[in-house]
Amino acid sequence: MRVFLDLMWFFRKHKKRYLSGIALLMMVSLITLIPPRVVGMVVNELTYHTLTRSRLFYELLAILACAVISYGLRYLWRIMLYGGSIQLASDLRTRLYHHFTHMSPQFYHQQRIGDLMAHSTNDVQAVQETAGDGVLTLVDSITTGSVVIATMAFTINWKLTLISLLPMPLMAFAVFHYGKALHQRFYQAQAAFSDINDRIQEYVSGIRVIRAFGQSAWERKNFVELSRDVVAKNVAVARIDSLFDPTISIIIGFSYFLSIAFGAVFVLHGHLNLGQLTTFTLYLGELIWPMLAFGFLFNIVERGGASYERIQKLLNIAPMVQDRPQASDTVPSGDITYQVREFRYSDSPQAALKNIDLRIKQGHTLGIVGRTGSGKTTLMRLLLREFDVQDGDIAIGGVSIYDLTLSGLRQSLAYAPQDDFLFSASVAENIAFAQPDATLEQIERVAHLASIDGDIETFPEGYQTLVGERGTTLSGGQKQRISIARALLQNAEVLLLDDTLSAVDARTEANILAELRQNRTGRTTLIATHRLRTVEHADWIIVLEEGAIVEQGTHTTLWELGRRYADMYRRQQLEILVEQGGGRV
Amino acid sequence: MGAIEEVPQAGSHGTFLRLLRYMWPYRGKVLLSLLLLLAATAADVFQPILIKIFIDNNLIPRHFPKQQMVWLGGVYMALVVLTAGLNVMQLLLFQILALDIIQRLRVELFDKVQELALAFFDRTPVGVLVSRITNDTQAILDMFMTVLSTFVQNITLLVGILLAMFSLNARLATYCLLLIPVIIGTMLLYRKITSPIFHLARQRLSLLNAKLNESLQGMSVIQAMRQEHRLRHEFGKINEAYRQVRFRNTQLNALLLRPLMDGIYLLTLMLMLGYFGERSFSQLVNIGVLYAFVTYLSRFFEPVNNMLQRLNFFQQAMVSAERVFQIMDNQELAPQQEGQPAAHTSPQIKAGCITFEDVSFSYEGQTDVLKHISFTAFAGQTVAIVGHTGSGKSSIINLLMRFYPVERGQIKIDGVSLRLFSEQELRRKMGLVLQDPFLFVGDIISNIRLGNSFVSEKQVVEAAQFVQADGFIRNLSGGYHAPIGERGATLSTGQRQLLSFARTMAIHPAILVLDEATASVDTETEEAIQFALQKMRHGRTTLAIAHRLSTIQDADHILVLHHGEIVEQGTHQQLLAQGGLYHKMYLLQQGSNPVAD
Repeated sequence: MRVFLDLMWFFRKHKKRYLSGIALLMMVSLITLIPPRVVGMVVNELTYHTLTRSRLFYELLAILACAVISYGLRYLWRIMLYGGSIQLASDLRTRLYHHFTHMSPQFYHQQRIGDLMAHSTNDVQAVQETAGDGVLTLVDSITTGSVVIATMAFTINWKLTLISLLPMPLMAFAVFHYGKALHQRFYQAQAAFSDINDRIQEYVSGIRVIRAFGQSAWERKNFVELSRDVVAKNVAVARIDSLFDPTISIIIGFSYFLSIAFGAVFVLHGHLNLGQLTTFTLYLGELIWPMLAFGFLFNIVERGGASYERIQKLLNIAPMVQDRPQASDTVPSGDITYQVREFRYSDSPQAALKNIDLRIKQGHTLGIVGRTGSGKTTLMRLLLREFDVQDGDIAIGGVSIYDLTLSGLRQSLAYAPQDDFLFSASVAENIAFAQPDATLEQIERVAHLASIDGDIETFPEGYQTLVGERGTTLSGGQKQRISIARALLQNAEVLLLDDTLSAVDARTEANILAELRQNRTGRTTLIATHRLRTVEHADWIIVLEEGAIVEQGTHTTLWELGRRYADMYRRQQLEILVEQGGGRV
Repeated sequence: MGAIEEVPQAGSHGTFLRLLRYMWPYRGKVLLSLLLLLAATAADVFQPILIKIFIDNNLIPRHFPKQQMVWLGGVYMALVVLTAGLNVMQLLLFQILALDIIQRLRVELFDKVQELALAFFDRTPVGVLVSRITNDTQAILDMFMTVLSTFVQNITLLVGILLAMFSLNARLATYCLLLIPVIIGTMLLYRKITSPIFHLARQRLSLLNAKLNESLQGMSVIQAMRQEHRLRHEFGKINEAYRQVRFRNTQLNALLLRPLMDGIYLLTLMLMLGYFGERSFSQLVNIGVLYAFVTYLSRFFEPVNNMLQRLNFFQQAMVSAERVFQIMDNQELAPQQEGQPAAHTSPQIKAGCITFEDVSFSYEGQTDVLKHISFTAFAGQTVAIVGHTGSGKSSIINLLMRFYPVERGQIKIDGVSLRLFSEQELRRKMGLVLQDPFLFVGDIISNIRLGNSFVSEKQVVEAAQFVQADGFIRNLSGGYHAPIGERGATLSTGQRQLLSFARTMAIHPAILVLDEATASVDTETEEAIQFALQKMRHGRTTLAIAHRLSTIQDADHILVLHHGEIVEQGTHQQLLAQGGLYHKMYLLQQGSNPVAD
């Protein structure tokens, strides 16, 4: 039940809606009491032969009025309460989305997208049900229950009411215990389901290994076992689940028995007439729903509560990277200086970067080379403030990037990341991602700079061709070049290319580099790459190894040095020849 | 996506019948639970009749013979308990039945997926397939568990109530029958009106989820390009559109479902009272009958409301079933052994001589990725394939592993067509080392052994020692029992590769098929890998997609692939002599500056 308190902020925000909805719901509960009363009157009048046509007419009219009015009111409260729960779901989704946009990459390393999606769909859904059906069931079972009981007690016979309610504590006891057991078993069933989900995820991802090693029978055995486990856990749930309604119906049966038996005694002694007894049992019938609802309420509220807790937990994770107080909104410009003594990712014992002392002159091109995991990407991500340095500082034009707002800082940076992610939209929209109001001419210009214009023209619908997950499949090189064009359109002072040319062939790469040199005079470019030929013409090259700069200089000086850089260079020339051998020879 | 959304409308009838067929093997149990359900319903329906007897025979005449009272009360309570008991059994049986059916459906689906060609996996995103096997079957479970039992139970209840009404007053009961077309009419009207809304809601929901999923995947781009505001706005619009359609749905539900049924109930009650009242002016009215009718009427609408509430679930289950059956009907099967001879006559791989005879291949039937490939790898030889991405290197391996069917040309092993080998023989004798060394959640041992129970723990250790992985494994906390997380994230690339070598060596294959990784790893591991590869190749026929110079240089035969054709081939010596690629490489090895050109 705590979830209702947790959701109070929303109920308060929509006070009018909820108060009027609840009021309407109560009115409906009251109106529901009238027809049984009318039936009781008719029965009495029939018994004592006092029924007249006009009386009958008014009695029927009363029922008709109840029908029409309660239809209208039922419609209205549904709109209000269910409408409210839909609004809550919508609000929660918005909150989550806003939260997601504030989270830094660290968060995305620790969470799995499937799980985040589950929060935004399944959990939001469960909370929505709690706020809709849960509120309804709570209000309805309490009002209907208490109103019916009060009417039974005050208008018919309080003694008989008490007698008929004798079995109720038994029901409360049973439902409470079932609820607890169900919660546990349901939790285990969900976990088993999760297991089988993971297993299939792994099976599908590793299908080639499984096929190559002829492991189909083994996988089947595993699958059948897990799936049996799911069945077993769900049967355990079913064992409890199938007790709910029959238990309640036994209790109701007892109630009927008691009220008829004692009612008969009361009738005999003249404390009650037959019509009243009929009305009484009809009222008892009205109690069936609130009682069943009582069981249902337990179920739904516990689930909603658990889900809301999950959502809250996610929302409570503070963003790792955010604007510091008094951060300036100016767009920085000038030389970039790194003074990083050490940086490590929170989940790793090893330093990703150490003793980086580097100055990149405005307008220069810096080449960053080294193996996978040597710290090339980290160097760029620190500049972008995807992660914050604890021990050291980075500055642009003499201003620490931590004294700037994220928005100001990122305005001067254009980043083409390693995993060139394209959105499900047209090519043009993807290129204009950072500047949605760009003209087609601007888009075409940067497409030309990135040497992707020729490719785009061969696409079925040119710049309007849909790409991304649901669109045309592009090659790695095409994706990379679109991602470069996207960065170029930003027209920022600093361009960061993070191994964004790795899938582009040599000639195209040379074209792009030449265009960049021509068009970005006076502006700074950082290029991280595996392939040394990419940075041959850079003004300065640093070689990273295990997070530290081990060599730096120009291509010529490094080649002459004859150490790591020269080694790598020689080896790569070989590999290029091997790779292209067939084509060239 | 569009196709999946549209089909169910047309085919839901057939889908439903096909689903029902899964109940056939359980017909005994189904019958039993239906009987229990009938008995429970009968017992339930009988209770008000007893009260009626009591009112008519005892209460009104004020005649209470003790024995009769005890008997009546006893029977009533017995019925109450009996109803509950039967209901517990019936509910439980139905749920277990549904779970069993789904278990069968899941395993059948999994078996089908196991038979499907790799091309299917290439095309189908992981998430989609996972959701077919788990979520969609779960949705169908809901239908067997709740929808079906709700309908059966409530229809039984309805029939029981109607029968009881008939036994009390046939004429009045006949009038009540008129309710049925009214209710069915409402259901049909509801379906007709809400169907487009329902569709629209699903469409918008999947749009919403797609937007969210994509935003999560591309968040770093969004943030780096400062587009958070724009995307929040876009998401807000989609979110609001979804909210609106859901609201519309709620409106229609409120208009046509429960409130309407409650209204109809009250109207019927009114008519019924009018009937009794009117009759009372001309003849004697049996009050017990009036009581029973009023009670039955109130109970009549409970099952109706229950069924209405399940309509949504039913539609969802049909959509899911349609998707599941789409996979079941997929005819894109992985190649299997042809002829299937008895185990002892099935051909065996002994020497491991591989021959490609004029093999051409196309994945989709249009562009050939392999054109007239012919070569032979004699027993114990190493054949290296080089060429740029897309030249067809992987396709050669895919065909040799019988992942795809050879339709033009022939592949032979020891002179026997690849098609004739049993699956087991191929998988036991051909060891594939993949570029992406996929590791499973488990420990080191389970990753080396996989499901091959014939590999003992000692053999696992031997295999690890053979590929020089023993050292790093023993340094892990837990050694061979060290846990491995999702995709082996805790190990380095090189370590993962060594483990996948050990996995292959544990089955002692006669043929080694090698898809060398391009990713560069640190020097130490690189040396271990090269050393291991050399040892592994020794004495085995090896077909390798080679990136490492050491592998290429040591090869007995080198194929240079370009656009699916072999453009140059020969031994190491022959290629050197040709003065082409190999010559250049040789010069480079001598240390001359390659930037010269």
